[in-house]
Amino acid sequence: MMNLYFEPFIIPFCIGVVVLFGVMWTKFISWISRLPKTDKRLILKNAVSSATFAALWEVIRECLLHMRIRRVNLRLWYMHMSLAFGWFLLIVVGRIEGGIALGSLMNPPYVDVFFRKYFPYIHIPGFGFLMDLILLFILSGLGLAVYKRFNSRKLGMKRTTRLKRTDRVALISLWCIFPVRLLAESFNSALFESGSFLTGSLGDLFALIFPTIALYYINNLLWWCYSVVLGTFFIMLPFSRYLHIFAEIPLIFLRAYGIRAKANPTTFSKLQIAACSRCGICIDPCQLAQNNLTNNTQSVYFLRNIRDKEQSPDITDHCLLCGRCEQICPVGIELNTIRISSRHLQRAGEIRFDYSYFRGTDLSAGEGKVGYFAGCMGQLSPKTAAAMKRIFQESETDVWYADSEGSVCCGRPQKMAGNLDAARQMTEYNTSLFEKHGIRTLVTSCPICLKTFREDYRLPDIEVLHHSEYIARLLETGRLKRNPSSKILTYHDPCELGRGSGIYDDPRKVISRIGILKEAPDNREHSLCCGSSLGNTRLSTPQKIQIAKSVTDTYEKTGAEYLVTSCPLCKKALGRTSRIQVIDLSEALFLE
Amino acid sequence: MNKWGFGINEKRSIDLDKNSPDIADRVLRDEPSLRLCIGCGGCTATCSAGNLTRFNFRRVHHLLRRGEYAALSGEIDKCMLCGKCTLVCPRGINTRNVVLSIRKHLSV
Repeated sequence: MMNLYFEPFIIPFCIGVVVLFGVMWTKFISWISRLPKTDKRLILKNAVSSATFAALWEVIRECLLHMRIRRVNLRLWYMHMSLAFGWFLLIVVGRIEGGIALGSLMNPPYVDVFFRKYFPYIHIPGFGFLMDLILLFILSGLGLAVYKRFNSRKLGMKRTTRLKRTDRVALISLWCIFPVRLLAESFNSALFESGSFLTGSLGDLFALIFPTIALYYINNLLWWCYSVVLGTFFIMLPFSRYLHIFAEIPLIFLRAYGIRAKANPTTFSKLQIAACSRCGICIDPCQLAQNNLTNNTQSVYFLRNIRDKEQSPDITDHCLLCGRCEQICPVGIELNTIRISSRHLQRAGEIRFDYSYFRGTDLSAGEGKVGYFAGCMGQLSPKTAAAMKRIFQESETDVWYADSEGSVCCGRPQKMAGNLDAARQMTEYNTSLFEKHGIRTLVTSCPICLKTFREDYRLPDIEVLHHSEYIARLLETGRLKRNPSSKILTYHDPCELGRGSGIYDDPRKVISRIGILKEAPDNREHSLCCGSSLGNTRLSTPQKIQIAKSVTDTYEKTGAEYLVTSCPLCKKALGRTSRIQVIDLSEALFLE
Repeated sequence: MNKWGFGINEKRSIDLDKNSPDIADRVLRDEPSLRLCIGCGGCTATCSAGNLTRFNFRRVHHLLRRGEYAALSGEIDKCMLCGKCTLVCPRGINTRNVVLSIRKHLSV
């Protein structure tokens, strides 16, 4: 018969383990089993492929070593990594030690965890030293974590997450685990000489101070404490932010199989929300936080509200959807999509639209295989549309102007507000318009339109290009010729074009053909939002201008003569505060 | 009579004692910047939907403030939320939030 090694002090630990795995598995199984059929098919299709190995590698890199946090700050990374990887090592090495000592790997888990208490006289060469070293490694990270709570700036974070009660209880029990283990092992060593360089030396010290009988009682008490703090942490884990420790693992696998969050939410979004560690790395990049406009709508708080079922439109709607947090999130949560899907659920009862007037509408002009869609915002900046017309003429392209006299919106603003059905009507209208005119290429000046054309429209026979890509291509093929001048230009990456659609190089290629490009410090994927994003319906105009001012300040410092952007909305927004002239990329081709 | 080419106009008087201001009040509470409107019509001139129908933001605002919610309900559904009116508004009114707020309060 298997030896159960039962002792009363292991009861809290065992209750914790049972609750932890019971609740956690219930959650995970219910989420994964309720995934839509298409997602399940993806799992079946991709599970037996290299994607599984890639995911496994990512689990090691991210769940244990937290490599993505390294990009944010080295000390912050060390703190997270030492706790996660250290604890993992403690469990694994402990398991091996227990396995060797008892000659079996089938021991109950508490035998490894409380190994020194159970078997103080068993010494396996090297393991005592190794376990002490790992404990020291964890304690060094823990020291940083405690320090961070009081002075987060030193760990590269201006602001850290404000915690709620469940998280705080879990945090305190987590903090207690390792110091209590250190003390318990040290007292144990004071009695039985069971420790190595760390716990052994501390034990020798305690043996000098306390009488043996006191050592005995304190030792028993400490092992009880160790069991209680472990149990408390395990019970709190599935209900607090620490669920991320395990939720990230299935998330990584499902993501590797090609499953993504959807605007119309699935249970995959729930898994993503559970995988948020509330590290708060998303707070500092948020321009609403930087400009002191809100301090409770950032992604970390937004996701927590969803988990606690405390959503409110004041928080959900107050986001620029600029994607700066999504870009830096070490867990890779699709924050914009989840935000949109949350708005969609919130507005379910108030979605009203009547687009019967679309029928028969066609305000296009011209004919050609290339279509040009200025977009609503493009129509609002006639210089951009005029410059595009000149470019088409210069490159001798026949163009069908989709919206020369007006248009139906692309649908993205409605989507960003959560009105998915309204957006779909616009998608259908515009799709049929493009198909009717038989175009092969669709060029748009508006990155907002570009993103939705690429992601939400089904246009199999039409290549959708942003005008920056199109112009870069014309210059490359020589259909458009420009000679570099000595003008100094700086470039603003629009959110929807850069982070949204991954287009960073084409506009820069164009600029380098016509002048000298001088970058601002926050560029490419770190680029700032102009503040007038259609994603936010809560910001007042003065607040938008405040954000724009903070952005244009960084461009003015570059000493450039022109601030080039390739989004008509950014152009309008930045033009309100910039002291240097703001022009569209297409206009930049015609600078005198 | 029919050959005259004139009809009798529908009654156009508005009885402000009968029209309740409650939805208008709630919208103004949601988005106080609407009070800044000077009725310049910039929103109307630029409106994407207004280019295709009679819809425009100024009309929506009038109907709201007069408490003509039945007519407003038909109009507000035509907005595409593209945001051009917000950008051109010289008073900086957050028109998109006004539209969302009207939709919310009309739906309740």
